[in-house]
Amino acid sequence: MGPDGELPVTTVPGETAAVEPDTTTAADLTSAPEAAAEVRELVAQSLGQYLRAWWLKVRSGDSGVLPVLLAMVVVAVTFQIITPQHSFLRPSNLVYIFGLSTVYMVLAIAETVVLLLAEIDLSVGAVALIGGVIAFKLVQHWPWWAAILAALVSCGVFGALQGTLTARLKIPSFIVTLAGFLLFSGILIVVLGGADGSVNLDTSKFNQLVIYDLVQGTIPPVVSWILLAVVVGAVGTTLWLRAARRRRQGLVAPPASVTAIRIALVALVGIAVVAICNVNRGTALKSVQGVPWVIPIVLVVLGIWTLVLGRTRFGRYLYAIGGNPEAARRAGVSLAGIRTWAFAFCSATAGLGGLLLGAFFYGQYSTNTADPGQLVLYTVAAAVIGGVSLFGGRGKALHGVLGGLLIGGIAYGVSLLNLGSLSTPLQYILPGAVLLAAVLIDVLSRRGAGSVTRV
Amino acid sequence: MSDVTSDSSQAPAGATDTTTVADLTAAHEAAADVPPELVAQSLGQYLRASWARVRGGNSGVLPVVLAIVVVAVSFQIANPKFLSAQNLVNLFEQSSIYMLLAIAEIFALLLGEIDLSVGLVMGLGSVVVAELVQPTGANWPWWAAIIVTLLACCAVGAIQGTLVARLRMPSFIVTLGGLLILEGVAIIVLGGGLVGIGNSQYRNELVLYNIFWGAFTPLVSWILLAVIVGATGTGLWMRDARKRRHGLETPPRSLTALKIVLMAVAGIALVVICNVNRAHVGTIEGVPYIIAIVLIVLGASTVLLQRTRFGRYVYAIGGNPEAARRAGVRLPTIRIWCFVISALISGIAGVLFASWQVSLTTNIIKAANSYVLLAVAAAVIGGTSLFGGRGKTIHGVLGGLVIGGIYNGLYLQGVSSQWIDVVVAVVLLAAATIDVLSRRGAPRQA
Repeated sequence: MGPDGELPVTTVPGETAAVEPDTTTAADLTSAPEAAAEVRELVAQSLGQYLRAWWLKVRSGDSGVLPVLLAMVVVAVTFQIITPQHSFLRPSNLVYIFGLSTVYMVLAIAETVVLLLAEIDLSVGAVALIGGVIAFKLVQHWPWWAAILAALVSCGVFGALQGTLTARLKIPSFIVTLAGFLLFSGILIVVLGGADGSVNLDTSKFNQLVIYDLVQGTIPPVVSWILLAVVVGAVGTTLWLRAARRRRQGLVAPPASVTAIRIALVALVGIAVVAICNVNRGTALKSVQGVPWVIPIVLVVLGIWTLVLGRTRFGRYLYAIGGNPEAARRAGVSLAGIRTWAFAFCSATAGLGGLLLGAFFYGQYSTNTADPGQLVLYTVAAAVIGGVSLFGGRGKALHGVLGGLLIGGIAYGVSLLNLGSLSTPLQYILPGAVLLAAVLIDVLSRRGAGSVTRV
Repeated sequence: MSDVTSDSSQAPAGATDTTTVADLTAAHEAAADVPPELVAQSLGQYLRASWARVRGGNSGVLPVVLAIVVVAVSFQIANPKFLSAQNLVNLFEQSSIYMLLAIAEIFALLLGEIDLSVGLVMGLGSVVVAELVQPTGANWPWWAAIIVTLLACCAVGAIQGTLVARLRMPSFIVTLGGLLILEGVAIIVLGGGLVGIGNSQYRNELVLYNIFWGAFTPLVSWILLAVIVGATGTGLWMRDARKRRHGLETPPRSLTALKIVLMAVAGIALVVICNVNRAHVGTIEGVPYIIAIVLIVLGASTVLLQRTRFGRYVYAIGGNPEAARRAGVRLPTIRIWCFVISALISGIAGVLFASWQVSLTTNIIKAANSYVLLAVAAAVIGGTSLFGGRGKTIHGVLGGLVIGGIYNGLYLQGVSSQWIDVVVAVVLLAAATIDVLSRRGAPRQA
């Protein structure tokens, strides 16, 4: 019942009917902690009630982003202590981690779309790399936007092919995408022009510079602050107006204090990121400062996918299928259609991740740029540790972003440690261990939620 | 249902039906309860019943045998060297690794699980065994090194199996995370350098080297063939005779005889091919040891799955875990053992792999990962279902031969490795599609 029952509440609060305001909520909350904790969170009338309801939800197994936030703190503190000269939290390193993580973030968001269906895409790494190489090859002759578009569309087609095999023929997705992984890894080398092939961006050409600057370019500090003000202002106004509108129309809305705290948190995180990025991280000769372009780009991807998943019919259907495919089918959802589109969108988003990856490595693509197998493991680990369930129906785009940041932090932290011969094996062991830990939490939290019925 | 297919010796005697022929063709879909080929009284009836079963969706080894023929004929046309004795032995040697890994994978697939770590369990096994016999290092006797290696692999399987069976974590995630960790551990054990076993001055290294590269002398090959065919043939014949005496369902005598003759012909062909001198200079002839190793693993795993209570339980869980649980089968225990056996067989493949590669580097360990895809492809092409409950270890051997043939044939044609990967991916997809479609055609399982 669990994931199915929470569907309408978590995904489409806009359509939840008004619940009679309950004056005895506080007493009820403690007496029946397991039942409908989420509804209580929605009907909470004050900040205190809201927090208590949230805590009950966490205790009942649906911990949301809490584990990944705790993990981030642990990782940050640990690496700060054990890195030589305690350099982990230096602004230059943090900005580097942001850049590296954006790749995992975008890929994890892509994977989330498929994970919501209780499927998996093991080919995201290879598809992402192909997307990047296609864009890099095309931009040598085409305008940058056409190259990016063509790359994303080709990746989307790859995804649609895999989605069709999974959705129409009912071949398990992990087999289809495992074969896809092998297939696309092979095609990647062909597209690159052989095992020792490579493609580089020539930054003296405008179109190639644009793609290079997607990650390497920075926004001037003043503009960074202005952009931050605009973004926080827009997000804040939207959140506030939405809550006000809902309250006016008699729908359930979080208490005003909760909305205010949310906006304050967004502002705080934004200010911290801009402040870190605006510190000069260059050398004595050449100053480098400002927010890298890739951060607003990831925010746009996050925003789009949050809207698609939370506010559109397609998004609702994804959660519905992930929660209970048979119920969704009987409700008239075209399972095969939605699944195929989900795989197509996943691969197209992954293609963008591949583009960022190439730009992050200074516009160079060769067979050594990234191992597609390792990339997909980092991706799945990022999504799952961010809070997306492997069993479908539970997860948000934000989870991918948080998980991606954690994975990026771990990956870079290890490389700072000067471990010598141990650093190569650790690059394999750590993501494996993180993935297993994340899945373990996922499995145990579902058990705690008391809703596991599969054998 | 699974009782009948997995252990035909215990099928109760049905009333001897003189009108079987007419019935078989009329209701070949409905007669799923007692497979018609079990009650067939003559070779003709048996063949007709088999054909009806194939048409009903349960095609068994037929597709893979066809695939072997297609692969052999097309590559022979493309390159006359393909079916030369020299290349065939090469192909058998190469395929032996795929065969063992496919058998390992089948133990997971039969449960409806998957083990993506078989490639790196093999990689870890190869590194451990090579390190343990190093004269400058551990310097263990070869047999102790092999035993410890296999035990280490079993431990890996037990850990992964426990996570899957007790905590109910999805097996493909556990083994995906597991393979990453194993890759790291293998690189640590390797110590960043190069470990070789090619120095014939040291006896332990030489024994290890000969496991893959050594061969029985031609005479011993013939004697062994006679012994194996004689023993298996007598075994088959005696079993059927005993069943007939006890009034149990038995295949017709002519069928048993045909099976034994086919086995003998295949064995003789194999020995003749292997006994051709395949060296450019000097003499290399005889059946390689690894063929015997693969046959032993095949025989042992077949007996385990087809003739023991454990095997019946494996099929029962794969067919319907909830039904098996209610019948009193301890799901976690059986599942853990399957993962242990899978890792054990992967470990055996690891010993062979070390012997095959002669010297191991970090890049070879990384490449070991790609073998899992070949193993899954081999098992599924061979006829094992991805959805559990259907498959035999012979499928792994036949599927491994197809994969080995494709690899070898494309390599002979000078096709670069990335295109070989593409072909294998397409073959895997095709096999999975056949599996899905044949399940659709087959009578629905509850």
